[in-house]
Amino acid sequence: MQLKNITIKLSQATAIAIVASNALYAENYVAVEFLQYDENNNRVSVSAPTLSASYDIGTDYTIKADFVHDAVSGATPVWQSDTASGASGRDDSGDYVYKNQEFEEGRNAGSIMLTTRFVNRDELYTGIDVSRESDFDSKSVSAEYMHYTDKSHNQSINIGASFAYNEILAYDYDTGSGASAKETSTSINLQGGIAQVLSEHSSAKAEAFVIVDDGYLTNPHATVVRNYGTAEQRLITENRPDKRTAYGANLKYITMLGDDISYQANYRFYTDDWDINSHTIDNDIYYAMNDDLILGLGLRYYTQTEASFYNEKKDFFSDEEFASSDERLSSFNALTYKASVDYKINDNISYNLGAEFYSQSTGLDATMITTGFKYKF
Amino acid sequence: MMKLIAMSIMALSLMGCSMVKEVKPWEKETLARPIMQFGGIHPEVTKFESHVYFSKEASRGGSGVAGGGCGCN
Repeated sequence: MQLKNITIKLSQATAIAIVASNALYAENYVAVEFLQYDENNNRVSVSAPTLSASYDIGTDYTIKADFVHDAVSGATPVWQSDTASGASGRDDSGDYVYKNQEFEEGRNAGSIMLTTRFVNRDELYTGIDVSRESDFDSKSVSAEYMHYTDKSHNQSINIGASFAYNEILAYDYDTGSGASAKETSTSINLQGGIAQVLSEHSSAKAEAFVIVDDGYLTNPHATVVRNYGTAEQRLITENRPDKRTAYGANLKYITMLGDDISYQANYRFYTDDWDINSHTIDNDIYYAMNDDLILGLGLRYYTQTEASFYNEKKDFFSDEEFASSDERLSSFNALTYKASVDYKINDNISYNLGAEFYSQSTGLDATMITTGFKYKF
Repeated sequence: MMKLIAMSIMALSLMGCSMVKEVKPWEKETLARPIMQFGGIHPEVTKFESHVYFSKEASRGGSGVAGGGCGCN
């Protein structure tokens, strides 16, 4: 009897140690991943190699780091003079057309996150993120605390916050002076939620978030036409409000369907004071064919309403304070179809391949291929 | 809206307290499998996806507080 009790207690301790931690599968690893993203109509292409690593320091600490380099090229549609061919053609002679403007950009980004575990296996995540482009720098710090509310670790609550500071190099296309000014913006992100184990085969999570962006939120490369058809007609940089407050909620549910198929659903609601409301429904199924092979399929639906200061027409804006024709602020729907394969080559090395097709009602289509290796040690 | 969000979280919390049976630690083998992790089996790929959506859509949030800014939006 005593032996049985000891065995049960050991099982409990082992299971708690396993299930309690997000480090569940956080064996030490180094991973390389490559993303190729391509849009239709010769729009944006991105090649992005990523290097990431995770290392456990004893049982109480895990440090994770990753680095990515994005090589971006292609074109994005903006209002331009129909006589201009260059990237900064903003002359007002002739008419205007909404067409692709070519660009090329590189981005380096890195992050480090430290997970600290306490006696009851509560976890504290602290992180730093840095991103650098030729005309945009971002630095952010974040912290999140996850607390188990019961002995069996079936329920946890979490609260987190981050602060980002951005520097934007805004070229003065409008006067043609070639001058540029350094603008800044900040972003505060607060999030809190609850996770609940529902049964031996399912669990759920609910989270709410608030995001406050403050400062220069305009896209310095995007244009609008003002006072079209009058003597004052001008092609000029868009202008967005310098503050944006957003609220949202995220609900997640995951369950097993049979012995080897898992299904997870994710719904996100978002609303902000630019009048953008969005709904996102994400569904993913994973099938573990055997110990070495996992197949994944997914479908994501997204819909958003347009910003209060958005209009796509060239004869709409006159002297409104805020104006944008950036189609990302328009009303649209999008679908993403996802498929993936994960193959364990041996106990240490696994290979993954994923393909996604993204289609917006704006006419934007894109493919995304991800492939990589992970070495665990 | 915030009221609705708060009520949803409270409802789930209450559900967790009263309607869900306790799952013992040794009954969590299934929950511990890689295919049962929120966010999928490849966090690196999920991060790529989030970045693409961030650059092509006007809303964000809900996937944790960590993460840097980007001039792509």
